[in-house]
Amino acid sequence: MIRTPSFAPRLIGGLAFAVMAIFFVIPLLFMIVVSFYQPDPMGFYKEAFVFENYGKFFSSFYYTVSFRSILSSGLGAVIVVALAFPLVLFVSDLSRRLQLFWIILLLSMMCLSEVIIGFAWLILMSESAGLPRLLEWMGLWENPRSLSPSFGAMMIGLVFLGFSIVALILYPSVARRDRSIEEAAVTLGTPPALVFFKVLLPTFRTSLSSVTLTMFVYLLGVFVMPTMLGRPKDWTMTVIISDKALGDANLPLGAALAVVMLIVTIIVLVASALLTRRRGA
Amino acid sequence: MRTLYLWIIAILLTAPFFVVLGVSVGASSNITFPPEALSSAWYDELLTEADWLAAIGRSLLIAVLAALISTTVALAINYVLWRTGSRFAKMTFALGLGPFLLPPIILALGASLFWAEVGWYGRMEATIVSHGVFFVTLPLVIIARGFAALTDEVIEAAQMMGATPAQVFRTVIFPLIAPYVMTGFALVAIISVNEYLVANMISGFVVETLPIKIFNNVRYGYSPVVAAASMLFVALTVTILLILARITDLVALFGTSQER
Repeated sequence: MIRTPSFAPRLIGGLAFAVMAIFFVIPLLFMIVVSFYQPDPMGFYKEAFVFENYGKFFSSFYYTVSFRSILSSGLGAVIVVALAFPLVLFVSDLSRRLQLFWIILLLSMMCLSEVIIGFAWLILMSESAGLPRLLEWMGLWENPRSLSPSFGAMMIGLVFLGFSIVALILYPSVARRDRSIEEAAVTLGTPPALVFFKVLLPTFRTSLSSVTLTMFVYLLGVFVMPTMLGRPKDWTMTVIISDKALGDANLPLGAALAVVMLIVTIIVLVASALLTRRRGA
Repeated sequence: MRTLYLWIIAILLTAPFFVVLGVSVGASSNITFPPEALSSAWYDELLTEADWLAAIGRSLLIAVLAALISTTVALAINYVLWRTGSRFAKMTFALGLGPFLLPPIILALGASLFWAEVGWYGRMEATIVSHGVFFVTLPLVIIARGFAALTDEVIEAAQMMGATPAQVFRTVIFPLIAPYVMTGFALVAIISVNEYLVANMISGFVVETLPIKIFNNVRYGYSPVVAAASMLFVALTVTILLILARITDLVALFGTSQER
């Protein structure tokens, strides 16, 4: 179209930018500022410029929590992608009607509240309903007891939560892939498993690694699953941050921990971007 | 093999909700499954008790207004990017992708500190604005696909007939991208209704939305009303998505555009 520089687009663009800057960027910057403030047991915080909040991070407790968060998010991300990738491949070969069914199913799962998914699994793993009872009924488990809270229950919750998001992110590129190579391989008599490992996996290596990193960052920030399905010793950094900020009313410490998480996130995202760029070149 | 895998995943994805459904229609006030006797008592309680109704109303109000903010901003960013293609517009677009890439706890804490400082802590407007801004990514990306699908000919034709940019937008562009805008609006509304962490950290003690109420109930001893409330959510979410599937081509929007 003919581009005539005019006032209106600038105004609209400026307004949109201002909204994003004020309500998205400034809160983050303010959080960084607060992380240097001094905690005030009586109220919110005292204006200051101290490093003591970051100093607290360097203690065995926070090391353990960080390590645990990275472990559970990393493990969760890998499991999610390993489960979702084959699903997306299979779904992309279905008829259009069935594809629509799957997209609606995945979209519903993506939109549903963490709270509800957590609650559903809580019931499914409880003594009086769900799996333990089913196993008892089948005669497989004599004295069933609740399966949650536990590390396993929390991981199931995390995987469940991430599954639909990963599937929907991968779906467009998988559905639009060039099928000629796999078809050629199949025609030449290559077994499906070999096609998967030798053709499909290498083709999607870049998008799979970048979606794994995205998922890692996402799972790092999940709050409800660890609190509902995990034991206190499974709690991740997200729970601790919220606990410090809301429970102990130590906002500067919560902010400092969140800033550390922000830095980790940015490092992961930059790594992911570099990975994509290098492979893409 | 393939079909088996698809079935297993479909069952795993839906199984928890069948159990919740079972609990919500059971007569017993303990959580049991399968239910021994059926009853609609929990739904009655959900839809008659003022506490629950207030939470439902608040959640819906927040969702609609947040979706309005989100889609307006997303539409504005996309329009300016399409019209000017300037660096500034690209930067604004990239900024709009940001909230999706960061763990929600960071956004939530930042927003909580920000609103406390502004003096809006505990006000519903704060939750609305933050939801609107944090969920902008989805409509942004979806509306971008709408603009990408616009062909230059129609717009040039309109311009040649002497239409002003505002007229072109109103009579040509908007009708063409309306399905994308609606999809974005609906998805933000659904996500906002379901969102817990941001809403809770901004003003959870005062503005109790439905997810917050459910979470608090689960934490401090729960009754099957929670199951009924959850099912209400599931029904609402699935219904809106089904309506959406009628209006727009979701398969094309999320996947392949060619007919297979």
